[in-house]
Amino acid sequence: MIGNDIVDLQVAKKESNWQRRGFLDKLFTGEEQELITSSNDPFQMVWLLWTMKESAYKAFHQQDYNRTFAPKSIRINLISKSKATVLIHNTTFYTHSEINEELIHTIASSQKGARILSADFFKLNNTVYEARHLETYQKTLQAFSGRLKLSPVLFEIRKDCQGIPFLYKNKIHLKHSLSITHHGSFGAFCIGH
Amino acid sequence: MIEKLKKIVKPYVQDQAAFEALTEETDFIKDLKINSANLVDVVLDVEDEFDITIDDASMEKMLTVKAALEIVNEKLAQK
Repeated sequence: MIGNDIVDLQVAKKESNWQRRGFLDKLFTGEEQELITSSNDPFQMVWLLWTMKESAYKAFHQQDYNRTFAPKSIRINLISKSKATVLIHNTTFYTHSEINEELIHTIASSQKGARILSADFFKLNNTVYEARHLETYQKTLQAFSGRLKLSPVLFEIRKDCQGIPFLYKNKIHLKHSLSITHHGSFGAFCIGH
Repeated sequence: MIEKLKKIVKPYVQDQAAFEALTEETDFIKDLKINSANLVDVVLDVEDEFDITIDDASMEKMLTVKAALEIVNEKLAQK
């Protein structure tokens, strides 16, 4: 099981107010809130922890179809700025994050040493939500087909009835686990073995 | 009440067509494409608008218009 999540920091600054009353209380455990308030960049810490929760939740959701919005039941044990273990019910996920001035991208895997075949993030050219969504799909297919040295037209991405995306080659469902994300001007994906 | 809820979610919606066609069955994330980080803003705005407290157990279910309406009604009845 794998998942990934990206946050466009400029958009997060504009569209969310982490200092709003109740915001941290509803999303983070006491321990996580302490990490935020004691950080020298609380804004960045909020979104780092959020991508850790969100990517682990996406990985978890690939096996447990029961959707919930219970961010506090997802518990983070921060190991370093780029690594954490994330516990959802009894499942542990291992996360790896990449942070720069513009974005935070986190990949979660249920296996240590992440069995990732391919993962990347990129800037999107489109400005409208739906177009950005399609562009993220296209770039994911390009990367995957490029890795196999095959034409991207052979491949497509379809979602099952639970909203989980899968790769198809010549209309045949592939076994790889897949996670796609986009936020603001950035898109990202990760593909498991 | 559904009109009040529509007004609350509007600023966070990323799929306007789905918003125009909103029904009780509409899913905030799957249909309206509300960013999951903004779902907490919807919850906080609902709390402010109706002067209620939405506990974690209720928030956990608040993924659709129907669930949100049920939670608001339940919390209003408890007041």
